[in-house]
Amino acid sequence: MRVPHRWRRLRRATACALVAVAAVSMSGCDAAQGGIATEEGIPKEIKLLGVRDQTGPVAYAGIGGARGGKLAIAEINRSGFLGDGVKLTIKEIDTAGSIETASAEMAQATADRTVHAIMGPTQGQQAATVAPMVERAQVPTIFTQAGSDGVVINDYTFRATAPMASYYNLATEYLADKGLGDVSVLYNATYPTFAEIGEGSFPKQADRHGLDIVSSTPVQSTTQDFTTPVRSIAGEDPDAVVMLLTEPQSVTALTQLRQAGYDGQVMGTSVQGGGNLKEAGKHGEGVIYPTDFSPALTGEKARDFVAAFQQRFGRKPDVYAAEGYDGMWWLARAIKASGSASREGIKRGLQQVAKEGFDGVMGELTFEGNDMRVPGVLVRWNGTSEELVSGGAS
Amino acid sequence: MAQHILNAVALGSVYLVFALGMALAWSTIGILNFAHGATFMFSAFTAHVVTQHVALPMPAVVLVAVAAGALIATLTQVLAFGPIMRRATDHRSAELRILIGGIGVAAIPLAIAERVTASAPFGFRGSTYQAQVFEIAGLRMTTTVLVIVVAGIGIGVGVWRWLATSRQGLALRAIGVDSETASLMGVDRSTLALGTMATAGALAGLAGALLTFQLGAIAPASGDQLLIKAFAIVVLGGLGSMGGVIVGAFVLAGAETFVLAMNQGTWVDAVSFGLIFAVLLLRPQGLFGRKEVRRT
Repeated sequence: MRVPHRWRRLRRATACALVAVAAVSMSGCDAAQGGIATEEGIPKEIKLLGVRDQTGPVAYAGIGGARGGKLAIAEINRSGFLGDGVKLTIKEIDTAGSIETASAEMAQATADRTVHAIMGPTQGQQAATVAPMVERAQVPTIFTQAGSDGVVINDYTFRATAPMASYYNLATEYLADKGLGDVSVLYNATYPTFAEIGEGSFPKQADRHGLDIVSSTPVQSTTQDFTTPVRSIAGEDPDAVVMLLTEPQSVTALTQLRQAGYDGQVMGTSVQGGGNLKEAGKHGEGVIYPTDFSPALTGEKARDFVAAFQQRFGRKPDVYAAEGYDGMWWLARAIKASGSASREGIKRGLQQVAKEGFDGVMGELTFEGNDMRVPGVLVRWNGTSEELVSGGAS
Repeated sequence: MAQHILNAVALGSVYLVFALGMALAWSTIGILNFAHGATFMFSAFTAHVVTQHVALPMPAVVLVAVAAGALIATLTQVLAFGPIMRRATDHRSAELRILIGGIGVAAIPLAIAERVTASAPFGFRGSTYQAQVFEIAGLRMTTTVLVIVVAGIGIGVGVWRWLATSRQGLALRAIGVDSETASLMGVDRSTLALGTMATAGALAGLAGALLTFQLGAIAPASGDQLLIKAFAIVVLGGLGSMGGVIVGAFVLAGAETFVLAMNQGTWVDAVSFGLIFAVLLLRPQGLFGRKEVRRT
């Protein structure tokens, strides 16, 4: 039987109203349990959401960030840093490497009035997509990784990862100090962070330090076999090769570079951290790279962090865990500084802490606006672990 | 120049082993298996897990990957594609459902590998095999490249000739042309489909092991990139022509190597796929495909 048009409209309107009422009442229930995130003061429970990859191509960054954050929360709660009985809690939501999922989950998260702050996606494109949403909903969001432009774009977006280019000068200075004057660059030109260093900051730094770039070889993210470009590089026999590639690409390029007969210095990036060079075996030995954190750091905070992380997760922390950890402490300090866990209070506090800077496991942390900067450290992969070369509290 | 040609032959051989399995299933039993990339990756991943516990030589690692690939593809046929084909009302709807079913099947091994490795690269570090580097007539190569080239060309030509000359090959080609008539002629389609899928999976496993040895490590997402290339190779060579797949694999690898040798690495995909596009404009059926849309 055909339903008259006006009745269908009425049914649809009623259904919409019921859904809206259900949503409001559910949000009201949540609020009663956890507190409204727009109210000033510090409630007993401060609810956070982690919206980041737990699966997908960059799951390692999201998992590392979440683990670092959890460790920091445990320490903050145990020490009563935010007051007696005040607890930070976090729920992780997997964006599964998808921009659409990240966007949908962030829309839900920002609409939840009980959520005080968000730890945002680690993938640059996901982060750039959700950044405007964060401003509209006025929910302070701290990103780790997410090195693209368009992420830290307003008062509510913050980043606890220093851009790789901001400490890559450690690599350039090392090459100049060691007299490794002729350099070949092999870089992933479709990966924004590497393209920026390979085409922008490194050539400028090299020029300043008197290094000669013998060749610059761009490849794509889809490049899997490096036999042809590395043969050309090995033929040039430069003093050093600057390798700006993703994890699997690095293992392959390094292996094939050594097989092509090149035995000079290879300078990588923090991507080589976290034991990613293990798969390269003996070909990975001796690779040097600048990074924002290494378990080899000897400062007291870093050592304590490494020990606590190892005890809790049974493995050494990587850069992603360190960023997640310092990011969470940034948030806790912000709440304390502003005396409020409201969204506005957290925003004010994050900005205040950013102005002052603080000591984290990554060293003395400073900020450019809402964007973190680290001193950085240069490390060498010895085949099984990282060794300190320079920088850090060595 | 000779070194670049050798590099292209090595790359083409990997593409060939991978694309052969996909082409075999597509051009005979009509299954465009979008889980082929995941089968490739998970076979290598299985061998990786095994080598973490037992130090195996290269042939044993390859055998593990081949067995894993054959098993995954057989299970895919029994649990997914077989039921889809039985329930489909016509061939066209079956093809579409198999395509979507393949994407669904692929998500499972991918999710498992990503969960276990946290998407970090994995290889055969636990294997006892160490690639040796040697030079012949000024050409530098590794033992891995030698194995890949011999395996790639050998298996490629072998599959091509087997399909063209053997009774089973004839039966498979008959299914490709008209499965109903082939059944009436006494061809057991279900058994041949299972055997074809197992062979295709074994080839995916072989490609997975060889490529992982060649690259040092692959990532869970590596299979997806190869799947697109294999699809292009089959279309370029001409659906139904195993000789076309062999030529297509080396044309694609040659184009990629040429662009990389010109230090224009960011143009690799654009030039390679642009070339394929240009060929298809002139010969829509591919280099060696028939004008009428028929499977060999």
